Amino acid sequence: MTVENRYDVIVAGAGHNGLTAAAYLARAGMRVLVVEKNDWIGGAAVSRSLHDGWTYSNCSYVCSLLRREIARDLELPKYGLQVIPYEGGASFTRDGDYFAYYSDHNALKREIARHSAKDADAYRGYSQAIMRQCRFIRPFLLRDAPDPASLHPRDLGELAYLVKKAHGLGSRELGETLKFWTMSIGDFLDEHFENDLIKAHLAGSGIIGTGLGVYSPGTSYVLLHHYMGDIDGGIGAWGFARGGMGAISNAIAASFKDHGGTIHTGSGIEKILSKDGRVEGVTLEDGKVIYAPVVASNMDIKRTILHHLDAAELPDDFTKAVRNFKIRGSSAKLNIALDRFPSFPAAPEHTSFLRGDLHVSQSLLELEKAYDDWKVGRWSEKPYIDMLIPSQIDPTMAPTGAHMMTVFVQYAPYDLEVDGVRSAENWDEKQRSAMAETVLDQMSVACPDIRERIVHMEVRSPLEIEREVGLTEGNIFQGELTFDQLFFNRPVPGWSQYSLPVKGLYLCGSSAHPGGGVMGAPGANAARAILRHETRHGRMKGYAA
Amino acid sequence: MSQFDAIVIGGGVNGLVAGTLLSRHGKNVCIIEKSNRFGGMASYSVDGGPTLAHSLYNLSPRALSDIGIDPQHPVLSGKPVSTVSLSEDGRHIVFNSEGVFWSEGAKHPESDAWSDLTKQLITYGGLLRQLAEASPPGGQKAILSRGGLNEFLRLAKLGRGLKKLGKSEMRRFLQVVLSNVYDIVLDDLSEGPVAGMLAADAIWGSATGPRSPGTVFNLIYRLGHGGNITQPAGGMSALTDLMVEAAQKAGCVLMPETKVSRIMLHDDTVSGVATNDGRTLTAPIVLSNLAPRLTSRMTGPSAFDIETMRRVRSIRALGTAAKVNLRLKDDAALPGLPSELAHERLIYAPSVEYVEAAFNPAKYRQMSKAPVIEAFKMQTADGANWLSTIVQYASSDIEGGWTQTAKEQLAQITVETLSHALPGLSDQISGKQVITPDQIEGATGAPGGHWHHAEMSLDQLLTLRPANGMARYSMGPKGLFQCGAATHPGGDVMGLAGRNAALAALEARP
Amino acid sequence: MSIFTDPKLGLIPGPFHKKLEEQNRAQNWYDWAGYAAPGVLDSVEFEYFALRNQASLFDISPMHKYRLTGPDTTTMLNRLVTRDIRKIGVGRVGYAIWCDEEGMVIDDGTLFHLADNDWRLCCQEQMLTWLLDAAWGFDVSVVDETHSFAGLSLQGPTSYAVLEAVGLDVSKLKPFDLAKVDHDLMISRTGFTGDLGYELWCDWDKAEELWDSVWKGGAHQGLRAIGYEAVNLARIEAGFLTAGVDFQPVHATERLHRGQTPFELGLGRLVDFNKGHFNGRRELLSKRESPRSLLMRFDVEGFKPSEGSLIYNRRKKEVGHITSGIWSPTAKRNIALAHVRMPDAGRSSGLKAEIYTLQEGKWDTRMARLTPVTKAFFAPPRARATPPART
Repeated sequence: MTVENRYDVIVAGAGHNGLTAAAYLARAGMRVLVVEKNDWIGGAAVSRSLHDGWTYSNCSYVCSLLRREIARDLELPKYGLQVIPYEGGASFTRDGDYFAYYSDHNALKREIARHSAKDADAYRGYSQAIMRQCRFIRPFLLRDAPDPASLHPRDLGELAYLVKKAHGLGSRELGETLKFWTMSIGDFLDEHFENDLIKAHLAGSGIIGTGLGVYSPGTSYVLLHHYMGDIDGGIGAWGFARGGMGAISNAIAASFKDHGGTIHTGSGIEKILSKDGRVEGVTLEDGKVIYAPVVASNMDIKRTILHHLDAAELPDDFTKAVRNFKIRGSSAKLNIALDRFPSFPAAPEHTSFLRGDLHVSQSLLELEKAYDDWKVGRWSEKPYIDMLIPSQIDPTMAPTGAHMMTVFVQYAPYDLEVDGVRSAENWDEKQRSAMAETVLDQMSVACPDIRERIVHMEVRSPLEIEREVGLTEGNIFQGELTFDQLFFNRPVPGWSQYSLPVKGLYLCGSSAHPGGGVMGAPGANAARAILRHETRHGRMKGYAA
Repeated sequence: MSQFDAIVIGGGVNGLVAGTLLSRHGKNVCIIEKSNRFGGMASYSVDGGPTLAHSLYNLSPRALSDIGIDPQHPVLSGKPVSTVSLSEDGRHIVFNSEGVFWSEGAKHPESDAWSDLTKQLITYGGLLRQLAEASPPGGQKAILSRGGLNEFLRLAKLGRGLKKLGKSEMRRFLQVVLSNVYDIVLDDLSEGPVAGMLAADAIWGSATGPRSPGTVFNLIYRLGHGGNITQPAGGMSALTDLMVEAAQKAGCVLMPETKVSRIMLHDDTVSGVATNDGRTLTAPIVLSNLAPRLTSRMTGPSAFDIETMRRVRSIRALGTAAKVNLRLKDDAALPGLPSELAHERLIYAPSVEYVEAAFNPAKYRQMSKAPVIEAFKMQTADGANWLSTIVQYASSDIEGGWTQTAKEQLAQITVETLSHALPGLSDQISGKQVITPDQIEGATGAPGGHWHHAEMSLDQLLTLRPANGMARYSMGPKGLFQCGAATHPGGDVMGLAGRNAALAALEARP
Repeated sequence: MSIFTDPKLGLIPGPFHKKLEEQNRAQNWYDWAGYAAPGVLDSVEFEYFALRNQASLFDISPMHKYRLTGPDTTTMLNRLVTRDIRKIGVGRVGYAIWCDEEGMVIDDGTLFHLADNDWRLCCQEQMLTWLLDAAWGFDVSVVDETHSFAGLSLQGPTSYAVLEAVGLDVSKLKPFDLAKVDHDLMISRTGFTGDLGYELWCDWDKAEELWDSVWKGGAHQGLRAIGYEAVNLARIEAGFLTAGVDFQPVHATERLHRGQTPFELGLGRLVDFNKGHFNGRRELLSKRESPRSLLMRFDVEGFKPSEGSLIYNRRKKEVGHITSGIWSPTAKRNIALAHVRMPDAGRSSGLKAEIYTLQEGKWDTRMARLTPVTKAFFAPPRARATPPART
């Protein structure tokens, strides 16, 4: 498709949020161009074939958070998206046992009771508390975060909505909610459970993608961030996108193109052009200049502001706040092509839980220690790993009989410490494979023959993720999910509603409220803001409106 | 006489403030203390050594004037001390209201950045103080009641305070107050002792490290009364003497060496207390300066709802600060320290990472091998010279318990750590006292020996302090109130918890 | 990896499963706390009339059972439940409810007073965490007997005769009495049907033996094994509430504000404000006079069962819904339990239920007048006679 030199909107970056914003805007009748630096689209929601016959979801790897409203508005099923829930998961012990997390609640209760009768009974109270928090937060995902310092009617309206919601909880539940939001997942689990393995299994979601430990306040919220999604209304359920996570981006892109949108790949944004405080367009890496009165950046806030914009255009305190925005690399990824299904000696025959997320962390303290390693610039000696074999459910991911495995690794620092020096430059081939060995050792707790099964393996340190996807420090959420960077503080106080200090410039990626994950909400919310501010009719249509 | 209008259990600072305030409002009050002296942690010492608390930085002038003590009383009007961050290379760093200086006098390059940040935090501290000087918001049912209206006005005042900051500062406040000290400090200062000093001031007494979200709140709390650090003339006991005197003057009956065995209830209403020596004291109001768990032990769990008891026992209170008092041979200057700095507040916290690393072992029930230390050189009444130190982290729950060997190890670590900056210190030491958190718990009743009775973390503050549903001082049966550090706003030698509790009791029973 | 079914999934057999399986022609199993429990064994009608006319056996083992012992047990339980259990003597069983701190009902159940400070609590909802919380600070041990203690409900006019034929003399047992027959067997004159009946309790591994002996004894008494559907008809006739149907156990609700106070459930008689503090007392004192809704019994106009219907007042405003509604084969009335919001719950007439019907492919709706009823729909004197009749 030929690229013209003038559009209504240019979206910088073809990640799923950029595409979502673009698709909404195209449907509203705007002429939209999406530009992408890579030769492929999808950002971190991508499927890549790096070894013949196998497909990797080589960044994000499972799906739950994608809002139903967006899937419906953009008709994603029509454009090929199919999400299949996987059921269960497990944590393996070092002495040959396991804790299986079944989605069948009777089986789950019996399995918990196998480890602790008390915990089996306590689980209901735990899941009730989590579900209540999910119900509380979900309505906020597709709304703007109000600016508490503003007297604008929209902010007051959003603030009133928040107050009404909070008031509706009643004083006891409001207290429980405030407590949940401010406590650590470790303390929260300690209040409910006694068994180390069960606590370790449940805690994982509280630290994935963050530079916090299980006992850091605020990690309960991070857990919630992983639970507040759903599949077909089943809150907290996770699944695979058929064809890998790229299927999500591809479906959104197809929906976008079908409504007149254009995607230009292979050349990223060099500079966002502005004049007199107003966006004019962009120059691309290949030198092309394209004009548009509106630019929406799917890049994280730091990249957008510090790398692609003229600092002179911006207020100093804003630039300072952006510089101080915390985007910390804390995770790595292994993608593995397997010749056949690895053996899990501890798992009983015919078990279903191997289709889910598998772990080998033994206790909260082991997870906390993993965090301590990261704090001083090392990958964890015993990292938290989240491994899945989607080819059990999705036949498109690997040749028949062979399998594909995705292994998420927490923690791995961006600035790696080697010989007393902390630097991202230290991530060379030698360090990467040393980290891979550590991870494979961890995996061997569950599947001792893993090394023999490997046909091909891709090892991605935070540095690779940053280089390829463009996420600063390889942070999967485009910014830490801490209180000081959430809701009206995201990405920076005063700029939580997608527009930025340069008129016509918007943020549509995960650096904006409500944050990361393959959710689409920042993209949809940004589209709503753009339509409101930049068009005469002003309103977005659809369930996400 | 055994009939009172109100009984206060526990004669620590908050108990004294609460009892005195009630007395001054015409109540016939009795304050019961199990030990032979009043003042709790402010007066507890072993064998005439330095007291647990050894400086003032958060004492509330409002609490003082409410109990009839002039905040400018000669005992309290001492000159603020500077903080000296001890350095291995002998170039110590001095922090005071003028800024940051090298010990030889030159201005430190980060002086302005430190002053700006500190000033900003003190401004925020002033805002939070408005919250600290009253019951926490929320929980009031009808906005049209007198209490509801007062609360509304108070929040409006806070809102006005926020507004006065201006839009961008107000936004900044709402971000900073939720943040962690590691990030906030390192955003403006380079890693090193200047940043380390602020990191240390954010974690004293807490089971938390600088990277933990919420630690900026602790720092702001500490700076809530302006941030000046003083030592009362005549030592901490001079302050507690002053308070005891105020209590007596107000007409309080003080009962030292008396243990309460039971809080008596009748028809879900408090009727008094029974003491260990078999006496019964009656009163329609009982204020407990003890942590909620101990209070509930005195009523029995039946007095409270099951959920309340669940919350009470989930309150986190892991004491992490030990007191190590080093007896010095004489009044000679400390080695490596200019004599004019001898009586300043000394800290050992060379960097933010150092403070964080010191915290690590506490998570795994170990003592820090490289602890954060605060020290004062002082003379006790008997003329003995001491280096009074607070050593962190030395948590109450260390593996194997606080055996004699463990205590000696901690003393050893303390001396070694200080010796990095004060070489030759050990030659000046003639004796050591180690007071561990479990010992503090035994002596004062503070759970885990925690000097705030309950961790000052975001999930245990304001409306959630000490626990959800019990933030407004009343607790269970009619007439029972909590007035200790576990309640809003929290501990330190401050007195506001006791003051607020007494006001709440007065309001409930006019 | 395999596509075979995971053996750990699904329902598991209870202590009487083998016996029930032999009887189960309908193959209609449902999930009762993870156990495979019979909904119907052959036909609801046969089973219901066995219950009301002869005798019936129903497995109640999936109920949650907890044994509480230790010196503080009575004190601890009295803080837990709303009634004064000091009035339940040893050898007696008491119906009780317990509330959360906001006065919302957590569950109802029966308390078996086995000996001094030795109690068994039997209820529908899982309660271990709550009981452990409630026992904190007391010298009480809580043992979960749910999966080790079996229960069998023998109900119907000939149930006394069945036990007699088994060789068990329960002639002196009054309603809510319990008797330890021997080490392995406890009998209580209790049930969930409003009829003459007994509940037999034994260790899990003695269950089949117990079944066999009762079964043999019932040979000439028309004894029939029954499923839940028949029991449900009987309990609605008796006006008994089912957790999760007629009230929402507050610990099992995700949505807020779904709880109900004892007063709203018509169980105010079980709340004793004079016994000292108990859980939720302070809130209940203030909520006593201001129920938001009431659980009501209705005689429903017409013959169509009204379950799930919405209720409207005179001004056609929706004011509640039917929680349980059946045609009562014994009372020959169309009966229902319902929640009605205040103030309409206080009015005696003018309420109508909107009943949806599906008849051979055609959906229809009709408005049925509701007449409040204060007593149980069916409460035969034989249920209370001691010694009981044999037929």
